[in-house]
Amino acid sequence: MKNRLALVFFLALGAFARADLLSDARARFQDGEYDQAAKLFEQSLEKSPPSAAVFYELGRALNKTGQEARSALNFRRALILDPRFAPARSALQEANVALGIPPVKQGWRTRVVERIPLDALGLAGTVLFWAGAFAGLSAFFPRGFRGGRLVAGILSLLLGLSLVLAAWLCDPRISLANTAVVLTNGGSSLRSSPADQSEKLASLPQGSTIDILSQRGRWFYGQAPGGTKGWFLTEGIVPLIPPP
Amino acid sequence: MTGNTMKRVFVSLALSALLPVGLHAQEVAVGLSANQAQVGEPVQLMVTVRGARGADVPQTLEVKGLRINLAGRSTQFEMRNLKMSSTLTYTYLVVPQFEGEFTIPSFDVRIEGKTFRTQAMRLSVGGGTRVPQTPALPQNTAPLPPGQLPPPTEEGEPFFADLVLSKRKVYVGEVVPVELRFYFNSRIGGQVGERPNFGGEGLTVQKFSNAAKREQVVNGANYVVFSFQSAITAVKSGTLQIPEASLEARLQLPGRAPQGMGDFFNNFPLPQGMFTDNREVTIKTKPAQIEVLPLPKEGRPEDFSGAVGRFAMEATVSPKKASSGEPVNLKVAVSGQGNFEGMGAPVLTGDEGWRSYPPSDKFQSTDSIGFTGEKTYEFALIARQDQTRTPGVRFSYFDPATGKYSELVQEPLAVDAKAGGTTPPVASGTPGTPQAGKPAPSVAPASTPDVTVMAGGATSWTSLFSRREFLIANASLAIAWLAVVLVLTMRKFTESRAGRELARKKVVRDAFAGLKDAGPPDFYEKARDYIYLRLDAGADDLAAAAKIDSSALSPEAKASLHQVIERHGETKYAAGGSPPPSVEERQSVMSILKELEARYEK
Repeated sequence: MKNRLALVFFLALGAFARADLLSDARARFQDGEYDQAAKLFEQSLEKSPPSAAVFYELGRALNKTGQEARSALNFRRALILDPRFAPARSALQEANVALGIPPVKQGWRTRVVERIPLDALGLAGTVLFWAGAFAGLSAFFPRGFRGGRLVAGILSLLLGLSLVLAAWLCDPRISLANTAVVLTNGGSSLRSSPADQSEKLASLPQGSTIDILSQRGRWFYGQAPGGTKGWFLTEGIVPLIPPP
Repeated sequence: MTGNTMKRVFVSLALSALLPVGLHAQEVAVGLSANQAQVGEPVQLMVTVRGARGADVPQTLEVKGLRINLAGRSTQFEMRNLKMSSTLTYTYLVVPQFEGEFTIPSFDVRIEGKTFRTQAMRLSVGGGTRVPQTPALPQNTAPLPPGQLPPPTEEGEPFFADLVLSKRKVYVGEVVPVELRFYFNSRIGGQVGERPNFGGEGLTVQKFSNAAKREQVVNGANYVVFSFQSAITAVKSGTLQIPEASLEARLQLPGRAPQGMGDFFNNFPLPQGMFTDNREVTIKTKPAQIEVLPLPKEGRPEDFSGAVGRFAMEATVSPKKASSGEPVNLKVAVSGQGNFEGMGAPVLTGDEGWRSYPPSDKFQSTDSIGFTGEKTYEFALIARQDQTRTPGVRFSYFDPATGKYSELVQEPLAVDAKAGGTTPPVASGTPGTPQAGKPAPSVAPASTPDVTVMAGGATSWTSLFSRREFLIANASLAIAWLAVVLVLTMRKFTESRAGRELARKKVVRDAFAGLKDAGPPDFYEKARDYIYLRLDAGADDLAAAAKIDSSALSPEAKASLHQVIERHGETKYAAGGSPPPSVEERQSVMSILKELEARYEK
């Protein structure tokens, strides 16, 4: 009993400490101490589960200190966690304008995630899928075959599968798992082969995103937003989804 | 036959015997002694065949305006480390009939059943006649370091280099194609470096093309020429010294017979290359100079961004219809010849009402040195107000051929873009406590520090589909579903004819097995039950009797089965009962039933 009480006490203490960290960070931000605020937001994120709100606030603090690329990275992270988080989307657009990164045409995935909560969509799809699967099966129970149940079951199963597939395809945590952001001052260069002297295919300005396909030593092989594939140095390239 | 003659024949035969062993891989190369000529001035076309002792070549080549006839054939042998290589040279005389640009087409050379196809060559023929003369050694032949160069021989210099500049008077920023040629006498073997060293102050050098190899006759000697193409760009005006270009090579130069032995070896028809001298050399071109003119200030457009060359421009827009906030992509392609690396982007005109972003660019070269090609700029545009036309595009460049600035203009393109912006609508928030965990109905400007952050969303980087709980729940449901499928399938099977038959067989087998353990009072009852089950006669004595009679059993067996049924009746219904079966009787019954079992099991 004493042990349990001690555990509850320490858990409560940890939660209070995190809340204090966040409150302190927000207070620093209000006071214009953006560097300190950013550090505290980062510490809070290290100690707590990821939160779209805190990433957004961290992005704002970094933005105030002139770190546009890092702020854009954190706005992107906020949007991965909550694609419907409109302030983060607006802030990212402004940061991209400052970085000189042209807007990307919104695809159907972005439109879907901006309107529908993905986890709810995935769960609804899963429920429909299994409901359909069992309903279809019930058509074969004793007391005679029931065609209506089978048709309803198949329809429900297909609908559920479609929803699950849509949620899976649209989830930025899956689709952006191999995406990284260029944080190097002056950007990076996409080259034809993994050598410093190889042909430069394109320039990747600071803040631009790249899809990483493979790695060889200090070189990544990836695809630039325009579709050009090539090699770029790993230095200053930060994954959009932080490694565990 | 004298003694000396005998020795010559012996050595020649010995060397001939080595020939097939050491012949190198077959290779065919063609080259012209000059790429330019005058009408009536003969030019030599050399077809060099390596690694073969003979080849079938055409006697004449048909090219309108050129008379091309095979003039002769020569053979050279070379020996290195007891390996023999041979070079056959077929020489054609090409006599131009009239002026113009001619292409000598590729033709087939057959070597020991294999067909090799030569490369096509171009010959430029000028008007008038000129006294035929031997092609001279290029002007920029570099002097080689003392002590490295072997003495010139009657076959020509062993190697030299040449820098060919397409222009001597250029403008700052103008791209000038250059060619570095490294000549090696065809009698020399060895290896050359992959790329030459070239560069200097006040100029930038493009990457080199891969080395092109060809044969050329210079001063009557056959040379293998490695040429590298590149382009230079002057970055400041004035007289620009172009430093020497150098190429490392490891060569096997022809040597001399050992001292005092020259007279002896001179008596034999020894192959060339018998004595070789391996050397690492650096072959250099002569420095050159060009005059670099500054770009004129007069007539320089305000939006001139450093493009020097000759260009054309065209633009496309996509999509033609854009909804609110959707970007429109204006793609501008600038093509031609010039300094694509150094030039800036075209400028947009009349772009009020549009939000534009710095364009991305991509260069696609159509040559190996990046001099000719197409650079594509992509402008992302978002309409501030509803738009029916894109902005116009203007691109200014300096044309070194005319010495003047030129301007390319693209008129606006038709588009249907609805107004939209990146500035989000501002909504008020409640300062103070953060409210995480809720959906995000409110929109807050990023620049306002005292705005409450209201965000929901996930609290994990792991997607729903990768979470352990989700996977366990789905695995459990899948197992339950499969279990239901299994139960239903089994039930269906049990109810089916095959299932019933299987069940009956089991009952029969069990009944037969039960007989063995049956006690004396029950023996006949169980035996009768077994017979009923086996014959599928139900519980009817008459039906069982009929089945026994209609069975394929022997008459004795039938009688025995009838007897078993009767004995059961006696034991069950006779007053005072019937004595239990003896061991012999029991064995007899069992053997009949076994026969019945065996027959029906089949």
